[in-house]
Amino acid sequence: MKLKMEMLSEIYAIFKRWNTKLTRQPILIFFSLIQPLVWFLLFTQAFSAIGGIPTFKLLTGTSSYITFFTAAVIIQTIASSALGAGLGLVNDLDSGFMDKMRVAPINKTSILFGKLFSDAITTVLQVIIILLIGLALGVHIASGILGTLIILFISAAFGFAWSGISLFVALTTKSSQTTLSVGLLTTFPLLFLSAAVMPLGLLPSWVQQVAKVNPFTYIAQAFQSLIINGFVWQKIEYALISIIIIGIITLGASILVFRKKIS
Amino acid sequence: MNVRVVNRFSNGLELKTQLEQPIHPEIKANASSSEVKSLNLGFRSETPAADDIVIVEDLRKTYGRNIVAVDGVSFRVHKGEVFGFLGPNGAGKSTTIKILTTLLEKSSGKATIDGLDVDADQAQVRRIIGYSSQDVGVDDDLTARENLLLQCEFHHIPKDKAKKKVEELLETVRLIEAADRRLKTFSGGMRKRLDLASSLVSDPKILFLDEPTTGLDPQSRQDVWEYVTQLNRKGMTIFLTTQYMEEADRLATRLCIVDQGKIVAEGTPNELKAQVGADTITIRFKASDLSSCEKAKVLLSKLQGIEAVGQCGTGLAVENGLTLMTKNGAAIITQVVRVLDGAGISVEQLNLSVPTLDEVFLKLTGKTLNVVERKEAIRPNTRRGR
Repeated sequence: MKLKMEMLSEIYAIFKRWNTKLTRQPILIFFSLIQPLVWFLLFTQAFSAIGGIPTFKLLTGTSSYITFFTAAVIIQTIASSALGAGLGLVNDLDSGFMDKMRVAPINKTSILFGKLFSDAITTVLQVIIILLIGLALGVHIASGILGTLIILFISAAFGFAWSGISLFVALTTKSSQTTLSVGLLTTFPLLFLSAAVMPLGLLPSWVQQVAKVNPFTYIAQAFQSLIINGFVWQKIEYALISIIIIGIITLGASILVFRKKIS
Repeated sequence: MNVRVVNRFSNGLELKTQLEQPIHPEIKANASSSEVKSLNLGFRSETPAADDIVIVEDLRKTYGRNIVAVDGVSFRVHKGEVFGFLGPNGAGKSTTIKILTTLLEKSSGKATIDGLDVDADQAQVRRIIGYSSQDVGVDDDLTARENLLLQCEFHHIPKDKAKKKVEELLETVRLIEAADRRLKTFSGGMRKRLDLASSLVSDPKILFLDEPTTGLDPQSRQDVWEYVTQLNRKGMTIFLTTQYMEEADRLATRLCIVDQGKIVAEGTPNELKAQVGADTITIRFKASDLSSCEKAKVLLSKLQGIEAVGQCGTGLAVENGLTLMTKNGAAIITQVVRVLDGAGISVEQLNLSVPTLDEVFLKLTGKTLNVVERKEAIRPNTRRGR
């Protein structure tokens, strides 16, 4: 029991540290907010004609591409924020701060979770801003306030689980460059080989096959259904199952590597 | 009369201290009386195990099949002493300290701290040690105070107690005025001082310092030495690694000289220096005063503790001088003065030159210690943990 309390206070201390660090880097905040805006404007302007395709409306339930694309912006933002977890870790390894934490009597899992919880807060704030920009651009969220809260929850959980990839790469390579490239290389193909940018039915058949095993598809479909259709519980269920599977694999592997590498 | 104390450095530099006053026992050169006293205390076989806070036996660390970073070292650190590990880059110093601080797992051998095994009892070991690494482990985005409070949280120190402790530490390392500034504006010396403070928040039983002054400017180095001495005086046991023989000489009660993963010598700085040879006292007389020299030679030959007396006029470094060899120059020199004074012999200059740890190292390994500052060159090495 005492151990659990200690672990909570450790996670909280590390969570606070990362939050403070973030507020001291206003430029970082600025860019993390400007990025989704750029995505919104670029893609919705370039691809707005897609909304006019008759089958698009049939498949998605909306003829507004921007409404459909909101999910993709959220996913892209979460994935690029998830990169930060690994980069932060590499920084600590390089500066010697990690060694300081490791010789202190704290649980190694706390070091990872403190960072992940701090990232989750950032993710939620980013998604709120994306949704506000969406509203300003005419996106209507069909599932209302409750649906919005579910979107925020799925976002935070997905960010948490997806961070595991960058944590794993960071811990095994100890290189920020590798962490960055692996992150970018996984994010973009996965995004475009999923139902996030284009409804499944409009994708070529081989891409459809890939998209069906791509976790981004299930997260995107949950967001899309909440924004366009309202509550389709099965989609939310699928999203949560994907998150749990990813989380167990990536975070499990990271924790194992972290403990082994260092103990 | 003019008394000079000369430290011989193998790189040819001489550090000279001119003393105008007649010498007293207290100013007998660098080799202070405490070091002389410790001569007979240094042998570990004489010390009961209860006084050993660190016990290391046949410790080994290998990477893969071929790389041996630590090759079977054994030593003990007594409670209350400053124990030094002196050696060049790649000698296995950092690896040893990382094993002792639970950062690395040993390959084989025994290593305990206060009776706790560094691998099996990791969690408990971490509660009783402090560690200051070579890369200064502080967070640049936070202020000095925030850094220390964070370390307190890592050590589960209750808030009110932590606040008091942090003020106290900021005071000690003279950072109270800069306490609320972010570290981005801090100098290297300030960061190191904060780092030292942060390794002390939990009042550790033993403090591990990995090359505490590598890359620091001379003033900051003095500061760090000052804190280490202060801490030790208050009873803190300190284990430190260094590649500077001057640092080992100044701080360590006892030390190991390490090279290529092995301990090549162990003892007090004085014991080690005694291995390479004698202290040298040279006396210079007024020009062409050969009779004084001869008279002095006869008188001084009778002094106990003098091992050899040179010929007049053929002194090592002095024209018309006399050279004496002794095991304990610092103690002998007062007697020399007394004898000369008593006989009414006037002396122009008196030199005491003591062997340095650098010479010890040279003798034992055939290499000189690298005294050149090369912080960047060292870093990649330590990151691999060697």
